[in-house]
Amino acid sequence: MKTESHFKMERRTFIRNTALLTGGTLIAPSLFAAIGNPIEVADSAKGLNTLTILHTNDTHSNIDPFPDNHAKYAGKGGVARRYELIEQVRQQEDNVLLIDAGDIFQGTPYFNMYGGILEMKLMSELGYEAATMGNHDFDAGLEGFVGAQKHANFPFLCSNYDFANTPIDGLTSERLILQKGNIKVGLFGIGIELDGLVPDLKYGETKFLNPIEKANEQAEKLKEEGCDLVICISHLGYSYDDDRVSDIQLAKKTKNIHLIIGGHTHTFLEKPVEEVNLDGETVLINQVGWGGINVGRIDFKFDTKKFAKKDVLVVQ
Amino acid sequence: MILKYCIALFFGAGLLACSAVNTITVESDSVAVTDRYASPNIIDSIVSPYKVGMDAIMDSVIAFSPNDFTKGRPGGSLNNWSADVILSETLSLIPKSGPVFCLLNVGGLRNPINKGGVTVGDIYKLMPFDNEIVMVEMPLSTILDIEVYLKKSGGEPIAGAKIISGKLKLDGIHKDTKSYWIVTSDYLMNGGDKMNFFEKRLSEDFAGVLMREAMLDAAISQDTLIWNNENRISF
Repeated sequence: MKTESHFKMERRTFIRNTALLTGGTLIAPSLFAAIGNPIEVADSAKGLNTLTILHTNDTHSNIDPFPDNHAKYAGKGGVARRYELIEQVRQQEDNVLLIDAGDIFQGTPYFNMYGGILEMKLMSELGYEAATMGNHDFDAGLEGFVGAQKHANFPFLCSNYDFANTPIDGLTSERLILQKGNIKVGLFGIGIELDGLVPDLKYGETKFLNPIEKANEQAEKLKEEGCDLVICISHLGYSYDDDRVSDIQLAKKTKNIHLIIGGHTHTFLEKPVEEVNLDGETVLINQVGWGGINVGRIDFKFDTKKFAKKDVLVVQ
Repeated sequence: MILKYCIALFFGAGLLACSAVNTITVESDSVAVTDRYASPNIIDSIVSPYKVGMDAIMDSVIAFSPNDFTKGRPGGSLNNWSADVILSETLSLIPKSGPVFCLLNVGGLRNPINKGGVTVGDIYKLMPFDNEIVMVEMPLSTILDIEVYLKKSGGEPIAGAKIISGKLKLDGIHKDTKSYWIVTSDYLMNGGDKMNFFEKRLSEDFAGVLMREAMLDAAISQDTLIWNNENRISF
């Protein structure tokens, strides 16, 4: 059964019982055992209620694995291996979502020589379903991006860049809805301020719009459009010492976003970080370094159960 | 390592009434892309023609590196090499009288130079951007701005000058000196990395050479790269 209402990830109901967390894969059986025999109306079909999100960020034209004499990442990464990894997950899981948080371009001579065309072809072959633009995705200029983007079969989601009067106008989308099994997934993209990061000539008349305002607007719309899970693909950066807008700030100052897949700061997070939004609900933030060294994986498993009137839930 | 979160959700008519309970289990993993996943696949055949064309140019060895060159703050061997070669290549192109030094940015040095053979591709990875070298004439008053900037950033690559206890030490400044020159990139001159002091510039002269081209030329002429890890910045 598809969940009818939007998830409310409220802090007070975010259960932190380590016994439950370490005991099994699901919190539900323990909870249900404590309260008797609930009437189960959930769709028990395996897979329909699960979603596996695979994500990358800041791959920076790293198509071959890092060379064996690389000071830090010898032998790591490589698009062919990423393909294999993704294919293995797709064989195991019914609902896989593959996304990238930007800075696809710049970093190896593949970009200097071919202008990002190969990166787009490969991401299409890997089956990416959405990406957002990072600041370096402007490095070939707007015309250069258009030339490379012709080779992409997935959408670029950018909600806080106004591309009116630029060659990119109309080639990106603000948001996207994908049905994954029983789960309706809403996605939108948020980009970083380009001034001072990207040479003016490269981004032309692109206007930067307030990321917090646009994120709230897009998340609200996705909620209205019936999405069960709202994902923000962000290139703002994880966190800053100064007042630049980061994913942490974005999480705190918005509503209706459940997960932020971030980039830009090349932050290697071991696991998603939890923040609390304006409504006191939990937002998860993740980022997996750069260069295609890691692929992030987040599995959501949704269950809906219905209880009889006399049941009392006790949550520790 | 797989990490697990559980989110239990309650909504509907409250806990005592008939209510739906949603549980969301979240598991996460950061999967390392290693040779564990190395098996021939379609990607290799897509990349192959591009790689052949690229390698023909990029694999050519142009110099030898006696040591790992790494970047850092306040300084590093890669900071020094990069700033030194940009300064010397530029002065040979547009010689200026008066005080001059080179200021680059740590963020713009994108890859270390590793010990061993140095290829064209290594220099492309170090400096992938098509940034041009420019000489910028600055009023003397901006030295304070630069000191403040460097203190805040923690250090950037410099050559031809030193920062000692936070103060810029630049030769050639006399009591009637009104301006000095900075060799840098067009990216930084135009406000990149928030080097806003360049807005106060008096004039500029483009060298007509990309930073990367200057580095390639310098690597070829040095043959064995000059490794220098001297500390040029202190606060």
